[in-house]
Amino acid sequence: MALLELSGVTRRFGGLTAVNDVTFNVEAGEIFGLIGPNGAGKTTLLSCLAGDLRPNAGSVRFDGRDTTGLPADRMCRLGLGRTFQIPRPFPNLSAFENVLVAATFGDPKLHGEAVARRALEMLEYVKFPRPIDTIASHLNAAQLKRLDLARALASHPKLLLLDELAAGLTPGELTSMATLLRRIRSDGVTILMVEHVMGLILELCDRLSVLQYGELIAHGDAATVARDERVREAYLGHDYVL
Amino acid sequence: MTTAATNLRSVPLARRFLSFTWLTLGAALLVMAWAAVAQPSILIDTLVTGGMWALMAAGLAMVFGVMNIPNFAHGELFLLGSFTAFTVYSPIRDAMFNDPSLTVLKIFGPFPGMVAALLVGAVVGVLLEVVLFRPLRRRSREQWVMNTFLLTAGVSVVIVNGYRLAFGNNYHGVTRYWDVPPLEILGVPISVDRAMVLVIALVTIGLFAVFLQRTSLGRAIRAVSQDETGAQMAGIDLNRIFVLTMGLSCALAALAGAALLFLFPAYPDVGLQPLYLAWFVVILAGLGNIPGAIVGAFIVSLLQTLTAFYLRVGWVDVMPTVFIILILLFKPSGLFGSAVKGVWEQ
Repeated sequence: MALLELSGVTRRFGGLTAVNDVTFNVEAGEIFGLIGPNGAGKTTLLSCLAGDLRPNAGSVRFDGRDTTGLPADRMCRLGLGRTFQIPRPFPNLSAFENVLVAATFGDPKLHGEAVARRALEMLEYVKFPRPIDTIASHLNAAQLKRLDLARALASHPKLLLLDELAAGLTPGELTSMATLLRRIRSDGVTILMVEHVMGLILELCDRLSVLQYGELIAHGDAATVARDERVREAYLGHDYVL
Repeated sequence: MTTAATNLRSVPLARRFLSFTWLTLGAALLVMAWAAVAQPSILIDTLVTGGMWALMAAGLAMVFGVMNIPNFAHGELFLLGSFTAFTVYSPIRDAMFNDPSLTVLKIFGPFPGMVAALLVGAVVGVLLEVVLFRPLRRRSREQWVMNTFLLTAGVSVVIVNGYRLAFGNNYHGVTRYWDVPPLEILGVPISVDRAMVLVIALVTIGLFAVFLQRTSLGRAIRAVSQDETGAQMAGIDLNRIFVLTMGLSCALAALAGAALLFLFPAYPDVGLQPLYLAWFVVILAGLGNIPGAIVGAFIVSLLQTLTAFYLRVGWVDVMPTVFIILILLFKPSGLFGSAVKGVWEQ
């Protein structure tokens, strides 16, 4: 049984169908990539999975139960962590407090001192480079991405949704981020990542799905998808050669 | 919860202290220091009333910061608090009258009324959230601030007239809580009632600050006020936080009403002045800024005390208003700025 099962997920905004009848499974333990051109509906789809948006049709099953339309805080406590395309920490809390909030409320099994310990561990785990009492609004983009990741991991997720984690990172930061993601996976967390940086996708992902205009146009292991004619046309352009 | 201090990093030192905010703060502190030496009664009056406005304003600021609700029914919680305290305290007072040897009642008699007011306030706050705001939130968040403004203004009318219907137009008050000779502080006689008001305010504000800064629920409240969606993604159940915020805010207002019963007897419109003063403070400090509201409360109260001392009592509400017009002209985001931005577009 797959960890995450989407079947026929559809989300409309007024007359626009942002996500149309999307069906796929994410197996436990894999890194699953979701790619597609800008405006293809990737973030909308993630929001439908994370409980931020309610799908208009279709169903989402997570960890063996129907979670369609459950609110985001329930999803978080069920074991679904998420990072944002543009990191959104609590700007006036310190880095430590940011993670602490997530550990306190995201993992109902943690109590007392264990909460603070988890928060510290996670900041260490993502190699957060600044003093932990730094106020979040003083952090730069790369530091915020790590903070966002630590926050998502603090709730002890089974599945991590990453929305363009690599966007805006330098090549050096990209390499260490790839190492970190591999380590997260080997520690037993399944990853579903939306990404534009093809290098990272091809390097990390076991399987890929491609969205265009809200519909799934290709699906399979990374190499096959990258060779798919329709994908190359839709996403990579006519003459793109990998 | 942007305080002036967190925004200072990049501002050059000279400009830092020449800002409107620091000039105002500096002037207020100077006047208070001067008052401590020359006119201690001004300082004491400022602290006593300031403490109570701080209770009112902190709750108002919190509800605005966390839930984006401009609560115009906040004064009615003051009314409910003062009437609750009156109802609970009256039999205690009668018992003391009949048997003057009950010293326990003499010392602790007023507290049950205040605790009862706190509880009534909390319950009413929770009801307001669950019965009114939650259904509205579920239906639509468009025009949220305007809708909740109208809703709370309506609640205010309903409570005032419901109260009038049930308990009439009479004043229900007490002349004093503690029937003992006044204390002497800095050479000024100050009634024990007023001293206790200050103690209650300081203790409550202290506990409130510790709650917000040090406890996980307090941290969650701050997190929600900074990023609602982000907080939800971190596993925070927003409904729980909203219930808590509203209950706490209303409890503080009711406590203020109860503690000031000897100054403001319970009558239908008693909440009006505290409501406006709390709004003065919140506008002065910056919408949704809780620590700012606490400091602002003392500034407004200082302004009032000075006005009453050197002009006339009749000008007491005029001077803060003039000051707020100036603030809105020169620093529309309030003295200490505000974490709540673009709220009118939401």
